[in-house]
Amino acid sequence: MTNNSINQTDSAPLLEVKNLGVSFFTPRGTVRAVRDASLTVRRGEVVGLVGESGCGKSTVAFSIMGYLPGIVQVDGEILYDGKDLVGMDESELEALRGNRIAMVYQDPQTSLNPTMKIGPQMREVLKTHLDLGKQEIRSRAIELFESVGLASPDTIGERYPHELSGGMQQRVVIALALACEPDLLIMDEPTTGLDVTTEATILDLIVDLKDRVNAGILFVSHNLGVIARVADRVTVMYASQTVEDADVRNIFNSPQHPYTAGLLSCVPKPANELGITPRLKSIPGSVFEARLEAGNECLFAPRCPIAHDQCTQNAPEISDADGHQVRCFFPDEVTSDIWGELKPRRDFESEDDAVVIEANDLNVRYRSRQGKKYILFGDEAQPPVRAVVDASFKVTKSRTLGIVGESGSGKSTTARALIGLTQKSSGSMLLNGDELETDSANRSDDQRADLRMVFQNPTASLNPKLPIKHAITRSLKLFGNFDNQGAYDEARALLEAVGLNPDYIERIPSELSGGEQQRVALASAFAANPKAILADEAVSALDVSVQAQVLNLLLRNQQENETSFVFISHDLGVVRYVSDDIMVMYAGHVAEQGPADAVLSSPSHPYTEALLSAAPEPDPDATPSIIRLDGAVPTMRERFTGCFFADRCHRKIDQRCDEIEPPAQSVNSSNHIIRCHIPIDQLVSQS
Amino acid sequence: MIQNTSAARSSFAQISKVINPLTSAFKTPAGRIGLPLVLLHVLLAAFGSFLAPYSPTDFSDATYVKPFTSAVDGAIPHILGTDQFGRDVFSRLLSGARSIILISGIGSILGVALGTAIGMTSGYLGGKADEIIMRIADGLMSFPSLLLALLVLSVSDSLVWLDGISSTFATRKESILVIGTMAIVHAPRVARVLRSATLTIKTQEYVDSARLRGESAYYIIFKEILPNALPVLAVEGSVRFSYAILLASSLGFLGLGVEPPSPDWGAMISDSRSILTRAPWVPLAPAAAVASLVVGVNLLTEGIRDAQKLPTELPE
Repeated sequence: MTNNSINQTDSAPLLEVKNLGVSFFTPRGTVRAVRDASLTVRRGEVVGLVGESGCGKSTVAFSIMGYLPGIVQVDGEILYDGKDLVGMDESELEALRGNRIAMVYQDPQTSLNPTMKIGPQMREVLKTHLDLGKQEIRSRAIELFESVGLASPDTIGERYPHELSGGMQQRVVIALALACEPDLLIMDEPTTGLDVTTEATILDLIVDLKDRVNAGILFVSHNLGVIARVADRVTVMYASQTVEDADVRNIFNSPQHPYTAGLLSCVPKPANELGITPRLKSIPGSVFEARLEAGNECLFAPRCPIAHDQCTQNAPEISDADGHQVRCFFPDEVTSDIWGELKPRRDFESEDDAVVIEANDLNVRYRSRQGKKYILFGDEAQPPVRAVVDASFKVTKSRTLGIVGESGSGKSTTARALIGLTQKSSGSMLLNGDELETDSANRSDDQRADLRMVFQNPTASLNPKLPIKHAITRSLKLFGNFDNQGAYDEARALLEAVGLNPDYIERIPSELSGGEQQRVALASAFAANPKAILADEAVSALDVSVQAQVLNLLLRNQQENETSFVFISHDLGVVRYVSDDIMVMYAGHVAEQGPADAVLSSPSHPYTEALLSAAPEPDPDATPSIIRLDGAVPTMRERFTGCFFADRCHRKIDQRCDEIEPPAQSVNSSNHIIRCHIPIDQLVSQS
Repeated sequence: MIQNTSAARSSFAQISKVINPLTSAFKTPAGRIGLPLVLLHVLLAAFGSFLAPYSPTDFSDATYVKPFTSAVDGAIPHILGTDQFGRDVFSRLLSGARSIILISGIGSILGVALGTAIGMTSGYLGGKADEIIMRIADGLMSFPSLLLALLVLSVSDSLVWLDGISSTFATRKESILVIGTMAIVHAPRVARVLRSATLTIKTQEYVDSARLRGESAYYIIFKEILPNALPVLAVEGSVRFSYAILLASSLGFLGLGVEPPSPDWGAMISDSRSILTRAPWVPLAPAAAVASLVVGVNLLTEGIRDAQKLPTELPE
């Protein structure tokens, strides 16, 4: 730390990327992963690099580290402390990496050596880069573990990575990156793989570190909420170019590039003052491909609502006005409604209260196979896991039940049990009043046709070797009595209905983008007009602009065909946007359920409260709530007593929480139910 | 009209799906050597006997003629010389290609087909059925393949029911037995590999989707899973083919191949090994033929394997 005394904002930039270009030469042609990227990071500043997938964010991060695979050409300058890293020889780079520049990757599991204890891994880093004695290394390691908020820092070194939760692993990775007090920290989607409550604590840590270590941080993320929480400045990338660069408040409050404005209007927001949830806008089309050669044009013009003739004839350069840099000819025309007027989420409310899906005391147990490896011998080593416990809910006609919770909360298992892919162990499930068999194979064709499912990962839910028409036409033939030609024509119509070119019908999935693939999955779920659709994390793998398109498609289908939905997501914002009713699950238990407005407002279950407070809002001025949960979702086994949430609860009251199962309390004797020992009137939010 | 073109498209898609592993293998260095080598052998098997300049079986007085020389002035030169009975080695080599390629080819195709069906069904069904099928496969695999073949061949005389089959195909009983043995020896090994491929593929969501549509197990295995197991199948088929060639030539070497004096590469090596020092070209030519075929097949396998691993994704 040399220039602590200098005022941070005036100090010379620590890192300056100027007109960076990165091209990969592959057997299938040249890929221009980065065409023109410029950004600046100063000491004590977090710069957020944001954009959709395929825009080149990670390539920028990796080229700063000099980690680029294959045959690659790098143009432009990467100035670190005034020295150009491009073309610097390997030994000089080696001295900088780890020592002065450190990186934190997305997946902590692959960053840590699974065969080594945490302590030796840390000591190895310290030994390589610093000239310290054995005792000093030991105490320095403990100091570092303490600085990233790891519990019991003096003993954690004795543990293996797999003994730590995902959040703790990421803290260890951050501690390793901080080991040599780097000047520049590059974080590539460091919270993307984590649960939202864990993400919140890691973001707190990063904000806290920024003040403590006086390093510059480049924070790469696709999540605008996360960026709003941690960043001081934001650089927006689109199609391998940086398109906007400004102070975080300017970016979020008065974006000057139409792409930035579009991204912001794709993110689900809470209801406005009038109680109306605004309909999401979406950016049509898809990102300009890195394989293509760019002409003399604005790369965003084909998707831009305010494109002029000039935009397709000249390529805009970055222009600077009071530190707000933007790559657009017409930044003054960018307003909040260029992406469409404000409309309510949907223009109908269902009055029909016919119950479509009903579950009563649904239970799912997973038996562990541990200790019973052979067919005939051995007992089960551990009691069964309680994946879903006494879940009861109803979904009425053309309404949506949202199920929200972190990973391991049992929400996907609930859906899989409903659809018949996972065996329920007790309870009943009804569709239109008729009992549903446990196994999908034993249900009638009508029941299978009426209850469909959309999976999370479109790449996995479409057969990669078969044309996309396959899944759609098979559904039509099996459920809709279509002949070959009829199914083919109807499949084209369905593709058109989900906004895809019907001529794509013979393509295989890999020829489509992720968003297009998910629309095909939707088209096949919509085939033969089902009564109800289960959507299991159906938009989680998608970029925000595509996510908005898919969510609006679901709502439109609901309006046109009176479909009921069970919508499962870990993203509270998305669930809030689509749901009429919400069920909050934790470790297999339903913590809280009821009408969406009631669940999302006070009084609420302590877990709901924590989830709400952890969800990152795309607003830099939002005051971060202080409720934080430690640890991770536990696995509930048989013979468990007490409240399912007691371990992590910030409002645990007394002995009852550890010994007695919490009662289901009804709020004002309505259908808003909270399972907690704390009396309803005390569950009113204190903040 | 639309129907026709779409039907034509899909049958074209079917064919290209099958040859795709081969064409993509040709783009790798190993495949570029292996594929032509294997194709050359297959062409020899098909047309070799028509190209042979001399009779492969007739004895003559011109014994031990050196390679590339003629026995009589003006006659066609013996490219690979003649053996101790004055037979043209090159002609024998050309004529012998058919039996080894046919026997090992049919044997490995049958073994792969059987193994694929068993392995995929076993993997898809899972549970106890899978457990039982795989234990039987383990049992079969513990038999050394050559010993099993010898055992079967030693009792061939008593297998009267085979006479009908062998006369239908106008072939010897022994050839059918060798083919059958190859199928039985290879099936469990193929089954094991295809089973593990199926276990990975069946957890994919598109298989769940197919189950939710109410598709039958048969449909899911062959229509949804098989196309995705094709690369594995191609590698495994190729590996099995090279083992089958070695088994066939070993049996020929032990005198259990085709009926003498019909040429057989294994038998040619065996018959002439005593004259290795006097006329080394006579045993070395068939040895080189077997070796080049096996090397070719192995290179092709390597090529298919490499082609599947070609980097297709780049960092964002």
